[in-house]
Amino acid sequence: MKALILVGGFGTRLRPLTLSVPKPLVDFANKPMILHQIEALKAIGVTEVVLAINYQPEVMLNFLKDFEAKLEIKITCSQETEPLGTAGPLALARDKLIDKSGEPFFVLNSDVISEYPLREMIEFHKSHGGEASIMVTKVDEPSKYGVVVTEESTGKVERFVEKPKLFVGNKINAGIYLLNPSVLDRIQLRPTSIEKEVFPEIAAEGKLYAMVLPGFWMDIGQPRDYITGLRLYLDSLRKKASPKLAAGTHIIGNVLVDETAKIGEGCLIGPDVAIGPGCVVEPGVRLSRCTVMRGVRIKKHACISSSIIGWHSTVGQWARVENMTILGEDVHVCDEIYSNGGVVLPHKEIKSSILKPEIVM
Amino acid sequence: MDSADEKVVVVILVAGPSKGTRFRPLSFNTPEPLFPLAGQPMVHHHISACKKIPNLVQVFLIGYYDEREFALYCSSVSNELKVPVRYLKEDKPHGSAGSLYYFRDRIMEETPSHIFLLNFDVCCNFPLLEMLESHKAYGGIGTLLVIKVSAELASQFGELVADPASQEVLHYTEKPETFVSNLINCGIYVFTPNIFSVIQEVYRLREEKAYTRNLPNYESQQFAIRSLPTDFVRLDQDILSPLAGKKQLYTYETTEFWEQIKSPGMSIKCSALYLSRFRSTSPHLLASGDGNRSASVVGDVYVHPSARVHPTAKIGPNVSISANVRIAPGVRLKNCIVLDDVEIMENAVVVNAIVGWKSSLGRWSRVQADGDYDTKLGITILGESVTVEDEVVVINSIVLPNKVLNLSMQEEIIL
Repeated sequence: MKALILVGGFGTRLRPLTLSVPKPLVDFANKPMILHQIEALKAIGVTEVVLAINYQPEVMLNFLKDFEAKLEIKITCSQETEPLGTAGPLALARDKLIDKSGEPFFVLNSDVISEYPLREMIEFHKSHGGEASIMVTKVDEPSKYGVVVTEESTGKVERFVEKPKLFVGNKINAGIYLLNPSVLDRIQLRPTSIEKEVFPEIAAEGKLYAMVLPGFWMDIGQPRDYITGLRLYLDSLRKKASPKLAAGTHIIGNVLVDETAKIGEGCLIGPDVAIGPGCVVEPGVRLSRCTVMRGVRIKKHACISSSIIGWHSTVGQWARVENMTILGEDVHVCDEIYSNGGVVLPHKEIKSSILKPEIVM
Repeated sequence: MDSADEKVVVVILVAGPSKGTRFRPLSFNTPEPLFPLAGQPMVHHHISACKKIPNLVQVFLIGYYDEREFALYCSSVSNELKVPVRYLKEDKPHGSAGSLYYFRDRIMEETPSHIFLLNFDVCCNFPLLEMLESHKAYGGIGTLLVIKVSAELASQFGELVADPASQEVLHYTEKPETFVSNLINCGIYVFTPNIFSVIQEVYRLREEKAYTRNLPNYESQQFAIRSLPTDFVRLDQDILSPLAGKKQLYTYETTEFWEQIKSPGMSIKCSALYLSRFRSTSPHLLASGDGNRSASVVGDVYVHPSARVHPTAKIGPNVSISANVRIAPGVRLKNCIVLDDVEIMENAVVVNAIVGWKSSLGRWSRVQADGDYDTKLGITILGESVTVEDEVVVINSIVLPNKVLNLSMQEEIIL
């Protein structure tokens, strides 16, 4: 079985992290974002994954060779020379997605993190016999997104409403699709939107069905949602009683600690924290609701909450970092500094406190 | 010494990426020293000034950028200058004096009698020949280019006191808190080769201190607390300051313009200074036009020969337009720098801004700023490949590469 992951462009919403690596390779819960999806696809028997990208293919390809070998799954790139929207890339990768088997193929949006109930989706797709299946998820504020209006009993999609002003439903497009090869015949090789052009066409013919996504869902394409997403993800690990979650007197709630990370005496870690490979957390440190990426050193007595600390950065002694502070790669916060929502680009040293949210270039 | 033996080497310190963070977002794909001012890379103005020096044998650019960043520029400018221009890469920053010392063997290869040291981020008219003549007359180890500025401005630089009769440097302090003098160091020097012995002596003294650092005394602790490594030697604080008053250092005062390019916004101010200088040195580089067959030009304007500017556009004063730019009918450009491959569509207005490579400004769009070079957002900067859609207004903002702006904004930094 095949799959396409829509990776898209520059990942500007996740800057400054994406100034150092392309977005799919930004770590989430100690693993490159895209690896979560590739692993979920591999688990249900997908043999080939095509990444639709239009930015930095060389950097991606290097990493992918690694994953290919480790996971024993074929990974190729389909590179857009001009942005093709959300459907165009499928046309571009047509030859890679269709084979003689006539099996449907998955399409995933790379910014999405969820339970990935792909096996259930295959069952659903077979049972309704339509041309395309999409996952929908329930949200509190549907008007922020595109709402999918469906028939209660069958899940048949009636229509799509983009950012509705009045309430029409609370299910939105979760960015996970299972499509029959015939869908590709509907897509031309030009900038095309799958939600605005392709799906409405299929829905009008009564051949599009929506399945409600069980479990959590988050679009982690921007820092605030990334932090919320980590909470949801770790929560789902807890529900599955995953052994990956850390335990101990110094751990509160759900915490992920890479086995190569070191945590000192007298620390209090959690809830909702991910500590990456090679990190050093010195004694007396408090971490909550934050992500600490590979190679970071948090010095003694520091306190970090609701923030993301980028690769190889350091946070000084007694520093306090909070309120959506995002440190890019190789950022060094000096001792005793306070950062309230500082967004710091790579290779900077913070020598004076940031009292209110500010971008440091 | 016979003047035919008096060979001169010019060294330009170009620093590296860590210093370049101050030039973001423009430094993401071009090293700051190669950013164009008045249509030519920043260091090109330094190198062009070198043409005046008789017996110039070599030009070295010393920095810690990757060699690839300077390879193309060095080979093309060597051709133009007919003198080898080479980039020497340091493995790490050594400080201005440390870098000079680090490459002393290369610099002394052709046994020059005089060595110029120029900082890449200064903008001036480079009176190198006059400095050299004065230096020979003074007979010291070094001569610094200096300029008088206002007292409040002076505290941002190195202040020195010079003897009004002999021009000798009597005292030197870097960025003092109290007023010392309104004469500042321009970052342009000429030395005789014995400057290397002076630097060597500083290294030797440090070795001695490091050896005795094991003894727990206050001074050695101070040295250890300082975050600079022992092989980081700064020219101004560590070498020149101690030499003041010893009849070794002299000054040459310039009354022409001088600026330090500390921020992207300053490049507009410096572009204006160089464009104005072109009027006397290279008037053929400046554009002209009256709106009939070519666009109306006001004041000093540079337009790259490959750029296409519609005759109904009005350009200037102080505008630099780089290669392959397309300016549509009815566009107004004022006090701005437009980089390569930009497309500016009908009736757009750009004032006090830098438009990054490959960007595109829509019809009736407006990109402007108040023009205050000293504030962070005083000049609007659009990074590479930024699209401003039709009728959108962008004021006093900085936009990182690859963004599409479809809503107007003021006072924002867009990542």
